[in-house]
Amino acid sequence: MEAGGSREREARNYLEKHQIMELLKYLTSVLLFIRPEKPREYLIAILEKLRIAKATGVAFPFFMDHSNITAMFDMMDSSKKGTISFVQYKEALKTLGLCPADEVLKDDGHAITLDKFKSEVKRMRPRALA
Amino acid sequence: MDATTAPHHIPPEMSQYGEENHIFEIMQNMLEQLLIHQPKDPILFMINHLQLDNDNVPKIVILGPPASGKTTIAMWLCKHLNSNLLTVENLIAKEFSSLAAAARKHYQINKRVPSMQLVRLIQDRVSEEDCVRRGWILDGIPETREQALMIQTVGITPRHVIVLSAPDTVLIERNLGKRIDPQTGEIYHTTFDWPSESEIQDRLIVPVGISELETAGKLLEYHRNIVRIFPSYPKILKVISADQPCVDVFYQALTYVQTNHRSNAPFTPRVLLCGPMGSGKSLQAALLAQKYSLVNVCCGQLLKEAVADKSKFGEVIQPFFEKDMAVPDSLIMKVLSERLNQQDCIQKGWVLHGFPRDLDQALMMDSLGYKPNRVFFLNVPFDSVLERLTLRRTDPITGERYHLMYKPPPTTEIQDRLLQNPKDAEEHVKFKMDLFYRNAAELEEFYGQALTINGDQDPYTVFEYIESGIINPLPQKVP
Repeated sequence: MEAGGSREREARNYLEKHQIMELLKYLTSVLLFIRPEKPREYLIAILEKLRIAKATGVAFPFFMDHSNITAMFDMMDSSKKGTISFVQYKEALKTLGLCPADEVLKDDGHAITLDKFKSEVKRMRPRALA
Repeated sequence: MDATTAPHHIPPEMSQYGEENHIFEIMQNMLEQLLIHQPKDPILFMINHLQLDNDNVPKIVILGPPASGKTTIAMWLCKHLNSNLLTVENLIAKEFSSLAAAARKHYQINKRVPSMQLVRLIQDRVSEEDCVRRGWILDGIPETREQALMIQTVGITPRHVIVLSAPDTVLIERNLGKRIDPQTGEIYHTTFDWPSESEIQDRLIVPVGISELETAGKLLEYHRNIVRIFPSYPKILKVISADQPCVDVFYQALTYVQTNHRSNAPFTPRVLLCGPMGSGKSLQAALLAQKYSLVNVCCGQLLKEAVADKSKFGEVIQPFFEKDMAVPDSLIMKVLSERLNQQDCIQKGWVLHGFPRDLDQALMMDSLGYKPNRVFFLNVPFDSVLERLTLRRTDPITGERYHLMYKPPPTTEIQDRLLQNPKDAEEHVKFKMDLFYRNAAELEEFYGQALTINGDQDPYTVFEYIESGIINPLPQKVP
């Protein structure tokens, strides 16, 4: 069923292009965590905020905020050196959904510090909202 | 970053919230709409979709052979559900539409509308405000498999499909008695559905095309087409026999349309079984626990275990047992909370029986956050209960339990030595039954969504009813 197959592929591409599944996962997690009285109104409010953030380019505390990033860094840096290896850094970006698989990150030989990690994540976030 | 060393303990409030507010279904509907329309700006689309809030509006298709009563049922459902009726006639009668005018011309010549035009008309109609807000009922569309596929391609999917069926001979005969009221468009019948007002009777006219030969011809074509439409709607189709009084057909259609389909939402059953002594609660609870790996929580058993274990609760409860007094509610609640808070109860779900027995206990349980998501009342008439309980016997030597009617002892030697538990004596049973029924009405009111089951049948039949009550979603009430 070629026609069916191509429409299915179209649908999958659409999902990936707009990162719909990540968005829906985020919305569901927020709902279950906050448990608002009126889930629909709350969802509409979040989506409106997202729209505004996209339109004006302001960074919206989307998937992660600062405390989460610090927590992630600490989890990876188990020996408390203050830096993480390049491999860990790449994996972390993939987990956050900020690093598409085909992008090649340059390994400048130095280990990544917390500040560098934070700034890289912030830099990549607006791209993720596209 | 991985969760294997410290497994996630998802708080039960989350799953309760998810179930009550149907979060899974909301997300699933949103995803479906996104995939069908694939808008350039998904966020705006999602905002609009959520604001419409039309996940639960009726989207019904009614199919059936001529003279099965489709239009009558469709009209009644429309009135009852406050929805919009779409038929071939009223689609092509639309004003101010060149598409409708072209369709009308075609209809006048060939007595049918080409599928392409019909589907476009449907698409326009369904996207109008009132259909979006209050849903739609398609009467007699799709007529063929091609139409069914075209409608699906455009993104119009019904949630319920009803197919009326009746033997051909009945239909041919019935069609001869069809009469139409030219003013309202309602269909009457000379035998089955004669209007009571004489002024309506006077203006009824005989419609064209109801002779036996013509009806037979239409039936032939219908049978050819309907067989190929069935596979298009696998899980949402229901066949209702039209060979019964229209009120019965209507009632069945209405109940079906108000049921939600089983969704894939995660669901941990928290079942409450209520019923008088001897209604079979413990047996059903044991069956449920075995089949679905739920935790069987019997209140009386829990208290006895606490006393036997000499736990700190057990020591407080023991004096009540010794004096044969009822244990106070707060104490029972504490023991119960301890059990229900354990990880296996939260994860696997539970079946509770023997508690609550009256409104106060129910309110206490509710306030502590233990809300069952399925409640069953087992109804057994008093005589059956007596029969079940007063004939119970135990063999003091082997410990085996018998029932003089349902599971008699094999030899007379055993039968001679059987003893009866004083709790099964008739006066005691009567007393307990009265106690239950005094409080039952309040409990039924408190648990509004409870399902009542006839417990006076063999245990496996009752079990099947309970199972279907748990697995199927609770029916939605018409607003």
